[in-house]
Amino acid sequence: MRALVSTMRAELIGAGGVVERNAYLTKRYIWWDVAWFLWTVANTLTIVFIAKGIEATGGDLDVNRTMTTLLIGAVVWAYLGILFEFLMETVAWERWEGTIEYTFMAPLSRAMHLAGQGVFAIAYGLLRATFLFVVCAFLFFDLSMPDAQFYPAFVVLVVSSVSFIGIGMMMSVLPLISPEKGTQLGFVAQGTLLVVSGVYYPVEVLPQWMQWIATISPATYALDGIREAILEGQGMTAMWDEIGPLLIIGVVSIPLGLWVFGRGEQYAKKHGKLKRSG
Amino acid sequence: MSEVAVRVEDLRKVFEVPEREAGLKAATKSLVRRKTREVRAVDGISFEIAPGEIVGFLGPNGAGKTTTLKMLSGLLYVSGGEARVLGHIPSKRERDFLRRISLVMGNRNQLQWDLPALDSFELNRAIYRIPRPDFLALRDELIELLEIGDLVRKPVRQLSLGERMKVEIVGSLLHRPQVLFLDEPTIGLDVTMQKRLREFVAEYRQRHEATVMLTSHYMADVEALCERVIVIHHGKLLFDGDLAALSDTVAAWKTIAIVLENGAGDLSSYGDVIHRDGDLVTLRVPKAETARVTARLLAEQEVLDLNVEDPPIEDVIELVFAREAVE
Repeated sequence: MRALVSTMRAELIGAGGVVERNAYLTKRYIWWDVAWFLWTVANTLTIVFIAKGIEATGGDLDVNRTMTTLLIGAVVWAYLGILFEFLMETVAWERWEGTIEYTFMAPLSRAMHLAGQGVFAIAYGLLRATFLFVVCAFLFFDLSMPDAQFYPAFVVLVVSSVSFIGIGMMMSVLPLISPEKGTQLGFVAQGTLLVVSGVYYPVEVLPQWMQWIATISPATYALDGIREAILEGQGMTAMWDEIGPLLIIGVVSIPLGLWVFGRGEQYAKKHGKLKRSG
Repeated sequence: MSEVAVRVEDLRKVFEVPEREAGLKAATKSLVRRKTREVRAVDGISFEIAPGEIVGFLGPNGAGKTTTLKMLSGLLYVSGGEARVLGHIPSKRERDFLRRISLVMGNRNQLQWDLPALDSFELNRAIYRIPRPDFLALRDELIELLEIGDLVRKPVRQLSLGERMKVEIVGSLLHRPQVLFLDEPTIGLDVTMQKRLREFVAEYRQRHEATVMLTSHYMADVEALCERVIVIHHGKLLFDGDLAALSDTVAAWKTIAIVLENGAGDLSSYGDVIHRDGDLVTLRVPKAETARVTARLLAEQEVLDLNVEDPPIEDVIELVFAREAVE
């Protein structure tokens, strides 16, 4: 028992080290991150302005509500992008930096290595998503959200992160299998989630077969829950309809993600793909 | 401690690499039917290294040195045979194994490019579970030994190649590895820096009784550090033994460099004249006859200076490879 506790403690310290390293790296390029944040803001505004555009061209809609709906979609999408990017970088970035062999030789279990990446990605992503939402909703558009329940919305986003991390782990194996094109292929999975999860439109408008896929996408439940909390003012109790499926997807996706990553690592070690680019 | 630090038995690594003819037609055809061929990077090598031993692992580019070291570090799976390091099978990634080895590759980096080395050292401390007092003591000791106190606070990308190599080595040794795989650690470094690193490796090995396996194209590294060498070529083991024995086995000759009082005449009766530069003549003679030829030269010629030398190790290694190519 003591050995188990000691091992767990060591693993957590190691994962903490990975979090710390990512924090140092982010701090190192903080001004570039600010510049990139401006791009995210611009991208989000472009999407939210669509509601105003429809109204301006004679469309009949509740502009404030539609803008908020689109804003939530854009913010969740940006958040998802951050999580996936950090997970994908587990391999791609280290390959580019030339540190990949050393990272894979370190006495840290792959689960804790990926958990370290994931935890930092969640913390950083949540911070950015919150900031993005505040800047766009209140500083730029002055949107009205009289019934909004931000706490349940935040909880749903945090819970959904677990499932996103599991999917991110599966995607991060792509650069391991294909050093040349794997990273780009990761966007395919990200794009698929974008299409089926109702990021900018209700899932009901999709063909039936896409709606089936939507039921296993954590983004569907995350968006539903956050919109219910912010637009309808639903509290924590109502969130269980979303949190339940999100937890189930998380329970499946995390072990599956680790398994897929493990298989990818085996493939890379068998075929000599665990090496730096160039 | 185990009786053997590194044991390799009939170790093999085979890669399947795609190949096709040049041109658009061949490129299109390869989309449907991909042709591959087997490359035997390591082809049945066996050796053992005792704890505390330092061994030169030599071979030309593509001989299979790095592939072998990667298999011994668990970064590559073996295709056949067996490798054990400190009693562990490297591919299993057992924590006890990973905490006791280190691989330093001269053309790779383990330290984050954008961070000061001190930050990366901290990550190693966390991952290798080094107690802070031990970590600080060894870190400072290594920094002092390599005289890099003013370098570890700069981002690694701002360091020169030699400086980077020094901080890389510190990063690799913080957990006091018992087995050290050094793959071209002095590549690209100037002569002074090479010498400093060699001294450092020797000192580390002595202090920590570490086992070291060193690959290098600089024979000065090998001569300075290794009593034993393992030579491989095309994935096969060509020689395993004392460095001196390698010279005796492959190059059973010595060179005699002489300067004569009355200028150099025809000296071909003494041995093969391999170099002539004014009054200086270099002869190659069989090792067994060196003493007799030297005595004859001293007796029969007006010798101003005479120097008998073993063949340079570079030449010996070259001969090993050439002999393998002929066979």
